[in-house]
Amino acid sequence: MDFREDSFMLTMALIVIVFILGQSLFFLVKAMKQGKKLGMAKSTLNNTVIQSVLFTITPALSIVATVIALAPALGIILPWIRLSVIGNISQETSAATAALEASGVHSITVPVTDKTTFATVMWDMTLASSLPLLILPLALKRLQKGVGKAVGKAGNAKLTDALAAAAFIGLISAFIAKALAGRGTGVQAADGTVTYNYDGAGLMSVATLIVAVVVMLILSKIAEKHNVNWLKNFAMPIAMFTAMGVAVLMAQVLPEEIAHFEFRAPIVS
Amino acid sequence: MNKTRTYNDSVHTFGSLWSVAVLLVLMAVPLVFCIRYGAWPTLSAVWTGLVPVAVICYPTAIIEIVAYTPLLGTGGMYLSFATGNISNLKLPCALAAMDTAGVKSNSEEGEVITTIAVATSAIVTTVIMAVFVLALRPFIPKLTDPASVLAPAFRQVMPALFGALGASYFSKHWRISILPIVALTLIVMFAGSIGTGVLIPIGVVIAILGAFAFYKLGWI
Repeated sequence: MDFREDSFMLTMALIVIVFILGQSLFFLVKAMKQGKKLGMAKSTLNNTVIQSVLFTITPALSIVATVIALAPALGIILPWIRLSVIGNISQETSAATAALEASGVHSITVPVTDKTTFATVMWDMTLASSLPLLILPLALKRLQKGVGKAVGKAGNAKLTDALAAAAFIGLISAFIAKALAGRGTGVQAADGTVTYNYDGAGLMSVATLIVAVVVMLILSKIAEKHNVNWLKNFAMPIAMFTAMGVAVLMAQVLPEEIAHFEFRAPIVS
Repeated sequence: MNKTRTYNDSVHTFGSLWSVAVLLVLMAVPLVFCIRYGAWPTLSAVWTGLVPVAVICYPTAIIEIVAYTPLLGTGGMYLSFATGNISNLKLPCALAAMDTAGVKSNSEEGEVITTIAVATSAIVTTVIMAVFVLALRPFIPKLTDPASVLAPAFRQVMPALFGALGASYFSKHWRISILPIVALTLIVMFAGSIGTGVLIPIGVVIAILGAFAFYKLGWI
């Protein structure tokens, strides 16, 4: 039995998963109770749960895709554990790659057969992502007080709202900029052939972005104008799925060189 | 007010306890593996692999904690940083939930909504991953294979997610939005390989400074 995917690894994964589910359930129940205490409508609380479920499905599938991408080298269990706790797509991929390179393995697609190399990767992926769990208990309370003071100093509801919105718009802008101008990547094999990942900004990313924005605006307008409550919850996932559907359609209908046209030459490694 | 303080204090206490517990469980995974197989890597091997990632991850983690504190609330912060995938999932999910519920991030109701959103999102992600990994494993490579019909959809998750999420913010705050989008697009044009983790804090600072300047100029 492959040690990367044996019942021992599976048991460890299940313990971690149960632990994380327990923590999430604990806070969910606590917040629900507090919401009721504050007199918030039950429908608002329930709608938040429904909307969050719908919102999470697609990004969660892309996280599953990362687990699959790391599976050839590390097996399925370790990436599964790492992406269930703290990890995020880019961090775990780079941590695994760096750890493998340090152990003399230069490809993320070659199976790791040496247990010590595997243990090195495990430690590096864990240590690379654990810092916030140390910082938060020590600093979050103080940090919140500092932020509260800064907001108090601003002393103006309009400015505070604008700054809160700006912080979020700044975050979204990073992803929008990537969709508008980011460079894609490609991998060159030993025989010189290059496999492109089609992950750079191009016709498809811009079309997806525009469709998502337009569909969302139209649905929100309809929901607001006709007071359709269910549509308010479903607008975001519908807009997302429609936009992704357009990407699939473009790939099917358009000639390949147009569908996969990217504005800039990909970075080949 | 007193009630909220009590709730917040309790969230801090439990949040800290859970963080330490998760940390211990996480560390136990490689430790137990090493003990079982007697496979102990050298410190220098772990160090060599860790350094190039840590020099990016550690400062990014600190910046993320500072940047997300005003947005995610107390419960949302502890949970998000324990379960990960914050910028691409937990944060947009929490912000969308607040937007729909019509509450603000620095309010008591915002605290409740962000915690519910992040907790639900964490549970759904964990369950989806478990189901896919355990039950549907043979099919996943076919779905996500670069040659699969659905592959373009998976490649375009980010533009679809942030386009849908940003739409209402852009239409409500279009004056604030133009500057960070243009500035970051220019940055990406000149530094094509810049990571999103680096780009996000730059975007947040530019957007906040821009919004502050516009406010002072009376444009918003």
